[in-house]
Amino acid sequence: MVLINNVKTIMNSSFKAKISLAVMGLGQILYGQIIKGLLYLSSLVAVFLYMAFKGVTDIKGFITLGTVEADPWLGEAGDDSVMMMLRGILCFVILIIFILIYISNINDMAEIVVRDKKGLPLRGFKEAVRVFCDKKFHKIALAPPIIGVVIFNVLPIVFMILIAFTNYGGNIVPPKLVDWIGFGNFKKILVLGELKSTFFKILSWNIIWAALATAVNYFGGLALALLLNKKCVRGRVFWRAFPILAYALPGFITLLAFKFMFSYGGPVNYYIKLFGGSAVGFLDIDAGIKAKIIGLAINAWISIPSSMLLATGILSNMNEDLYEAASIDGATKWKQFIKITLPFVVFSTTPVIITSFVGNFNNFGIFYFLRGGLYNDGYFLASDTDLLINWLYNMSIDNNYYGIGAAISLIIFVITSILSLSIYVRSAAFKKEDTFR
Amino acid sequence: MRKKKIIVVMASIFSLAVSMTACSGKDEKKSSGEKVVLRILENDTAKEEGYLDELISAFNEKYKDQGIEAVDANMDEYSDLAANGPYGYGPDVLYQANDKLMTYAEDKHILAINPEDYECYGTTAKEAWSAFDISIDGKTYTCGIPVNVQEPMLFYREDLIPENWESEWDKDSNQVPDFFENWNDLYKLSKQLRDSDSSANKDEKFGFMSSFNNLYLNANFFLSYGAYIFGKDDAGIYDSSDIGFAKGDAANGIEALIQFASVMDEGCIDDTIITNRYDKLGNGSYFCSVSTPDTYSLFIAKLALHYEEDGLSETEANEKARENLKMIELPALMPADGDLSKDSSTMKDSDWVKTVVMGGVNGYGISSYTEHRDEAKLFVDFATSYEMINKRTQILGIAPTRSDVAKENGGTADTIFASLESGRIMLMPSIKAVDQIWKPVQTLMGDFAKEPFRSDAEKKYAKKDDINTALEKASKDIYDAIYTLSDK
Repeated sequence: MVLINNVKTIMNSSFKAKISLAVMGLGQILYGQIIKGLLYLSSLVAVFLYMAFKGVTDIKGFITLGTVEADPWLGEAGDDSVMMMLRGILCFVILIIFILIYISNINDMAEIVVRDKKGLPLRGFKEAVRVFCDKKFHKIALAPPIIGVVIFNVLPIVFMILIAFTNYGGNIVPPKLVDWIGFGNFKKILVLGELKSTFFKILSWNIIWAALATAVNYFGGLALALLLNKKCVRGRVFWRAFPILAYALPGFITLLAFKFMFSYGGPVNYYIKLFGGSAVGFLDIDAGIKAKIIGLAINAWISIPSSMLLATGILSNMNEDLYEAASIDGATKWKQFIKITLPFVVFSTTPVIITSFVGNFNNFGIFYFLRGGLYNDGYFLASDTDLLINWLYNMSIDNNYYGIGAAISLIIFVITSILSLSIYVRSAAFKKEDTFR
Repeated sequence: MRKKKIIVVMASIFSLAVSMTACSGKDEKKSSGEKVVLRILENDTAKEEGYLDELISAFNEKYKDQGIEAVDANMDEYSDLAANGPYGYGPDVLYQANDKLMTYAEDKHILAINPEDYECYGTTAKEAWSAFDISIDGKTYTCGIPVNVQEPMLFYREDLIPENWESEWDKDSNQVPDFFENWNDLYKLSKQLRDSDSSANKDEKFGFMSSFNNLYLNANFFLSYGAYIFGKDDAGIYDSSDIGFAKGDAANGIEALIQFASVMDEGCIDDTIITNRYDKLGNGSYFCSVSTPDTYSLFIAKLALHYEEDGLSETEANEKARENLKMIELPALMPADGDLSKDSSTMKDSDWVKTVVMGGVNGYGISSYTEHRDEAKLFVDFATSYEMINKRTQILGIAPTRSDVAKENGGTADTIFASLESGRIMLMPSIKAVDQIWKPVQTLMGDFAKEPFRSDAEKKYAKKDDINTALEKASKDIYDAIYTLSDK
């Protein structure tokens, strides 16, 4: 709105002002604001030169993703599709920056016109910089982190999203040329026979897994924290050290140790055989539900300590008077837990529950280390315990299908963000932010 | 891998930003006096055992005057040429197995060469050269220079051979125990050892042990029976749509595999035996096991450790271990009908099939991104010369593909060379699609190996038809993995 008003202001004023809409910075120069004008003008010239020498080719390259295939044998450097895509993205970023500068040019011009009409003296360059630093300090302070986020987070994400719409991977790896295929990869995952059934089988297991694992870890941690908070438990500090030990060990080491424990040559089967039983394949191809339960239990072993620590911290803030009042009113221990402890803890940990849900949804390590290297019947390049993230790994790293992998990760992103946002928006932590203190 | 890719992408974003501001291109000119530096990527064993140092210093000595210098590329053994090469970060010359090298060749990341330009051409086995053939647009090219051949070998402890072997286990009196000559006798011996095991957990006496979920080590149960990995067309070029795991009498081989699993323990279903074999062979629980020749030193180390615990000094233990641990080829005959329990003395020649194992040829490739093609060629020619291959054989214990070196060194080197020429070794196909065979087949092999440990009600492969169905399904899965997602 401000921008439109500013354009109107300029259009209603003299030619000196209007010219800056066409030639950025010229208006400022004509009004005698030489340094500022030159800065605008030079950035206009720079962008024009860039577009003329590189930008246009880069955008063309972004659209075609290359037309000449390289032949390393003949030393012919062809087009590098992936680099072209990156250059294209960079070109768009530069154009966006240019548009922002152009907008600031309009705003600046409008201000000059207004001040000129009112007969106020125009600000010199130094003065303008000083006023800008003073009044728009938030912009200056935020600029470096935003630039950092754009380069290190946004660009790679945009790149990954774009890959999902290409046929990159399989036989199509450099020097072969990559092409845009629109929603082809998503069609393959969601519509194509073999992939479709695998996708939905894995997705349903993945959701069950994420919900179960989150619940087990959360309530397990809470229970442990409550237990170790009880005055009647002796040597609480001593007992508390054990979960911390489990927590301190790197996760994949724990996983490999458990994998060995449950393997055919491991201690569990050793004792089963010693007592006359026959060895059980806990994690082999027929394991099915056994492997799932073991995975859940080991995940609990790894994750409960951290949720216990969290719950312990929150419980120490608990108002003891509430319990006293409740027991005078005749509330049972269970009622006290349901009505006092649980709401209090859940209220302050809802965001943690959500992150842990997303974390478990994308829990790559558990089944990669416990049961990697298996493909089950009825699954396409996956086993029956694999989560979407493991499938994504099989597809993109083991089998080089980058495009499909990127598409799966986009789907994972959509699912987890919808689930976590909807849970968060409905939660007490969001709705009653101010009330429950 | 992934990290590297991210780094490359990040680096390119930065370099882009730099190149945007300055439009100058690369204009490096080599002055005539400048040295040519070749980056050589060798395998880790060659580095550790000091062979690479010898190779490099010998080469540098010879080509000092021409200003060529070879250096260790100092990269990960399996660093990805396809990802690094085009940006100038790859090696100039690389040593790899044929399947790996030819994956690069498919996308022209390594140069096609003319075998006849190399001194080793005439003395190197034809089969070895063929491992580096590739067809591009209907023409056949050779993209690598063979150095050595690999196959799975049988490792055993000599002191565990039954004392009465000459009277009981050498029916053809050829001074070689029968259980090293055919699989039926190896099975019989293994079964005897199992039956005599009186330990509490019945886990101290085993004969032949192998993790059957490993295709490379146990491919003889497929390949000896007429099955194959990928078929070849008339021109001898692999056809990845022709998947041969269910072909021939593969089901007979699988029956033999299931039968043999019954005289092992559940460790044969997963990697347990592969992990344990050094230790268990060392303490005498296993009589023999299958492994690749490059693991020889690991077996020796464990056995020596065992002797040290018995009170020998380090050198004595090492010497004794080297005397006692033997490495030979897998038994040469398998039962044609897949029944290992038949008495070998009652069997006619036609009752046997010849053992065929899976193998690979390692060799040199020249990166397409090298700026010094002629010098790289000089290096490879030097590294595959008689002297260097001979030295390599002696230091690393490899089986060379040069007939003259094989003959000179005799022993295993010569046997393996002969096997390569006689077709006993089927080489890993040199195409990318080979990546897709491992997991489906290994999952299935583990499933087969589990059969003897299932209760009667749970048995999956009681009938030969069930085995055939499973093999055909695995072949189809591989086909799908190759073709479902590719746009070809």
